[in-house]
Amino acid sequence: MKKFLAVLKREYKKVVFKWTFLITTFLMPMIASMFVLVPMLIFSIEGEETRIAIVDRSGNVEKRLRQNLSPEKIAERARQAARESLNDLTAGQNQQLENSSKQLGGQFSFVDYEAGSKHSDEVRHELRRMVADKQIDAFIIIPEDLSAADLKVAFFSRKAGDFIVNSTIEDAINGAVRAQRLANADISEEKLRQINRRVQFETIQLTESGDSKGTDGGPVAAFVVAMLIYIVLAIYGQAIMSAIVEEKETRISEILFSSAKPFELMMGKLVGVGLAGLTQLGIWIASLLAIVSFGAASAYMSDLEIAVPVISPLTVFYFFVFFILGYFIYATIYALIGSMVTSMQEGSQFAFPPIMLLLIGLYFCFAVVRDPNSTFAFWVSIAPFFAPIVMPVRILSELPPFWQIALAVFLNLIAIIGLTWVASRVYRVGMLMYGKRATIPEVWKWIKQV
Amino acid sequence: MEDQSATLTVDSVSKSFGDFTAVSDLSFEVRAGRIFGFLGPNGAGKTTTIRMIVGITFPDSGKVELFGSNVTPEIQDRIGYLPEERGLYKKMKIQDQLRYFAALKGIGQKEADRRIDYWLDRMKLAEWKKKKTTDLSKGMSQKLQFAATMLHDPDLIILDEPFSGLDPVNVEFMKEVIAEVKSKEKTIIFSTHLMETAEKLCDDILLINKSKKVLAGSLRDIKKSYGRNIVALRCKGGDEHLQKTDLVARVVEHADESEVFLNSLEGGQRLLRRLIDSGAEVTKFEMVEPSLNDIFIDTVNKSA
Repeated sequence: MKKFLAVLKREYKKVVFKWTFLITTFLMPMIASMFVLVPMLIFSIEGEETRIAIVDRSGNVEKRLRQNLSPEKIAERARQAARESLNDLTAGQNQQLENSSKQLGGQFSFVDYEAGSKHSDEVRHELRRMVADKQIDAFIIIPEDLSAADLKVAFFSRKAGDFIVNSTIEDAINGAVRAQRLANADISEEKLRQINRRVQFETIQLTESGDSKGTDGGPVAAFVVAMLIYIVLAIYGQAIMSAIVEEKETRISEILFSSAKPFELMMGKLVGVGLAGLTQLGIWIASLLAIVSFGAASAYMSDLEIAVPVISPLTVFYFFVFFILGYFIYATIYALIGSMVTSMQEGSQFAFPPIMLLLIGLYFCFAVVRDPNSTFAFWVSIAPFFAPIVMPVRILSELPPFWQIALAVFLNLIAIIGLTWVASRVYRVGMLMYGKRATIPEVWKWIKQV
Repeated sequence: MEDQSATLTVDSVSKSFGDFTAVSDLSFEVRAGRIFGFLGPNGAGKTTTIRMIVGITFPDSGKVELFGSNVTPEIQDRIGYLPEERGLYKKMKIQDQLRYFAALKGIGQKEADRRIDYWLDRMKLAEWKKKKTTDLSKGMSQKLQFAATMLHDPDLIILDEPFSGLDPVNVEFMKEVIAEVKSKEKTIIFSTHLMETAEKLCDDILLINKSKKVLAGSLRDIKKSYGRNIVALRCKGGDEHLQKTDLVARVVEHADESEVFLNSLEGGQRLLRRLIDSGAEVTKFEMVEPSLNDIFIDTVNKSA
């Protein structure tokens, strides 16, 4: 036991005190939070006030336009956009950018300009000069005939690249012109709003027990979790393999085997590296939760109705249980491969089968998220090798009955015991075989040896 | 531990890998406080035997007894094993590495640190304590490996080719250290195929060839039993007597003298007379014991 702990301690320190570990452990959450925080920061930098002169040839739009550009209206519009962006997580980059910009709007002040009956070329000329003299930043010319099919409103701006201002103005003009057109057609704006009101579409997840809950961003969280497990299992499996190959290549195993039982050595290595993996994952999960709750908190403060995935302590617990199961399954497979091969290059060729298994598990997740209660989802979420990735995803999508989770744990434990039994036998013999890679029949013989 | 008591008893041990017999029915004893030379050509079964002694592999049949017991993990902690293929973690600091090896032998860190300082100092590696193994030369990592072997103050020390890769200065240095260790009543098994080194260091020897024991006993007795039938000779002339004759079996020419192997132990005086009678100028004529190398080659040839 003492020796097992000595091995464990060394393996843990070896992984954790490496600068690559420190970087990946703390950089990942930083990058992740940057994706959340940086856009918030950038968009929260308030632009300067835009001074606008409005030339309204029709005489009916200016008042409404000024209203639409008032701070209250802009704030209302921002809330609306935020709600939309949350409901549509699959929106493309452009769409999201547009939504974000709508959430911010801009500030406007109005400079009175009396056009009178001046010719439009003259008006334009004068206004341009005012822009040049920095009396105003922009001006809008609204034509006389609002009913024209090809109505064009020109917005001249010193900073035409400010897409936030542009989109705000565009929306405001559209709104004002539409309102005036409706008025011209004798339709009340209020009535039209009633007619146009969108149906509220709500997705409600029915659970086995008949309860219902909203989907609450669960699928997104599920994919993040599946990827996280996949990445960590692949990385730490490879780490185990290279550690074992190193000891074999440098013949350290000879000294190790003369000091401790091979089983102690192998398990010490597996558990030590596993704890290092847990440390990293723990930090990641903690910061993920922190980012999510920060996002939720800031949404709450700006009184947005935001859908934050509900992650209960039980879910987190299950997540770690299945991570540990997955780790031991794949780490023993990698340990097995490591003791069969003679060099790291050879090992990488043989690392393909476990990666394949992991990938298949990852793909199963897509089907499971779509229908977490199908027979297919049931089988792949309890099957050894796949359950460690699929079951957490299923739990996040919709909590399956406890017996299914217990069955998955049980089946995977059996797989781990079997794999460890095989791996420790191969390890014991393989680590002392130098020079050539072991063939499958040879390995079979080692396994049968008592 | 009293002298003459057996530290290690190997009792009719056999080990084979598939069709290949690595060790066949091997028995021997290693006495406490002595240096035991375990000799044999490459592939004779030395490393396999050592692996069974240190408990890395187990015999197919027969029995290995250490300090009067089977090889258990507790017994393993009393062995210091320097394998032929040296193994050190490349990217680990030397101090951490030694701490780890000490921990694997059940030594607590405080005690380990004290011994690490002692051994690094003794091996003249003190200033390398915080460096990584990759910074060391081959000779230095060899010495470091020896320090790792000695950290837990083992009672039985097994050195498999300890001098390979060392320069002559370091070979002398290591011999000094080994002699010092021996003086502390430790038992040393010294495995090599270099007879000159074995001859200078060992009290007892075991010679194996092709998985079987061919010769065993104290070096003194073995040499005595071979008798002085070799003449170290330096002379001018008398060439007709230095060929295969009724007296001479064969002659081996060295740079400045010849080794004359006689057919009988009594032939020396007659050869000297013949040389003088023939007018040869003899500047050196010494009856010498056969070297271990001669015995080795002779025995291996006979057993082949």
